Amino acid sequence: MTVPVVIVDYGMGNLFSVASALRYLGADPSISSDPEVVARAPHTILPGVGSFRLAMERLRAGALDDAMRSAIAAGGRLLGICLGMQLLGASSTEDGASDGLGFVPNVVSRFDDSDGLKVPHVGFNEVAVTERTGLFADLPEPAHFYFVHSYRMEEGSLSFPRATCDYGGRFLAAFDAGQVGGTQFHPEKSQSDGLTVLRNFLRA
Amino acid sequence: MTALKKRLMFALLYDGGSFMLSRNFRLQRVGDIEWLERNYNFRETALSIDELVILNVERERGSMDGFLAHVKRLNDDCFVPITAGGGVRSVDDARVLLRSGADKVAINTALWSDPPLVAELASEFGRQCLVASVDVRSTAAGHRAVVANGTEELPMPAAEWLSRVAEMPIGEIFLTSVDRDGTGQGFDEAVLGLVPHDLPVPLIIAGGAGKAEHFVAPLVRGDVGAACTAHLFNFVGQSLATSRAHLRASGVDLVEWNPDLLRGLAGSV
Repeated sequence: MTVPVVIVDYGMGNLFSVASALRYLGADPSISSDPEVVARAPHTILPGVGSFRLAMERLRAGALDDAMRSAIAAGGRLLGICLGMQLLGASSTEDGASDGLGFVPNVVSRFDDSDGLKVPHVGFNEVAVTERTGLFADLPEPAHFYFVHSYRMEEGSLSFPRATCDYGGRFLAAFDAGQVGGTQFHPEKSQSDGLTVLRNFLRA
Repeated sequence: MTALKKRLMFALLYDGGSFMLSRNFRLQRVGDIEWLERNYNFRETALSIDELVILNVERERGSMDGFLAHVKRLNDDCFVPITAGGGVRSVDDARVLLRSGADKVAINTALWSDPPLVAELASEFGRQCLVASVDVRSTAAGHRAVVANGTEELPMPAAEWLSRVAEMPIGEIFLTSVDRDGTGQGFDEAVLGLVPHDLPVPLIIAGGAGKAEHFVAPLVRGDVGAACTAHLFNFVGQSLATSRAHLRASGVDLVEWNPDLLRGLAGSV
């Protein structure tokens, strides 16, 4: 039996790459902007590329924010990727302050380039995980993932399994809060390490 | 301190259903996607690179459908980032590329002909999504940037153009030496010297790779993040895998991928 996964389509993000990675793993992905479909999904992926503020506006306009909350209330699992992970946080400083979905209390801010740090952070970087469980099961040490972003989620103080990356200082690369998880990196674009994380998401 | 890895990139040049070999920007038809699959087994090749670039080099602007179909098909076969471009003249052009599996969009001529579009693209998709492609060649007046597939020379020194591009809301600069393109003589160090020293974004160098050793010199430099080849013949078959191993052995900080693990993940859920 194949695992059904709904990829949330709100006009932002590389939906097809996520879908083809899921198909490779043997899952059955569908792409939807219908809040009723999202609300019933056992596995939901929130991708995203672009502006935080615009993304939140589009999610709200499409009633997809409430749909994702309903899916979680019904026992489903949600994985945010890249901007999709940032949207799970409390707020972002991008384009002025914007509120996020608030699944985790962390805030999102721009990399500090005052010391000549190249921004965006682009390429494969090392990631350190706190525990090899949940999303992070079976990852090698170190694991490498593809990042492309100018804003990042601050580390904060989280108690669940998480991963950090160092680029001009540590930031939150991924977290696994049980039903809700996020990856700043692109697991669908990170060869075997990335597909391992996606497989872990689908197995839980 | 950062552990950010260097990137080995491969570029495919597409024109009317075929993939092309380019030498000093003169194009030669090589084969279609079936040819590519036969000679590269793209799923295997993609295990040896960190990023794929797919450029539409059609000189006549027609429908993008054929190109988009090829981007989609290649996307199914590789789990590395894809930059696609060639002829992007509107936000919609960029959107359809991003909805066909591209992660980033390359822009070249529009940097010169339509700077407001660059700002629009950045506000819609984020600047990290934009790869500014700059083609440079040597002339009697020194290095000049060219646009429109190398047919139009910009009226300023290439270094000045690169400084201007560096100020635009873009995520990376993809710098190609027209003089070295397809020659297999190695990357163009002179062209690297045209880049502003305080470039705020990552730099990708292209044009001239003929063998694995050629990648070493640019990739051990602190100011170069990635090096790219579009040479279908020099890096055919297992050659990219061999090159990658050679680069790692030569001290280039590339990730060591695990192809067996990736194969094992197929159908694992």
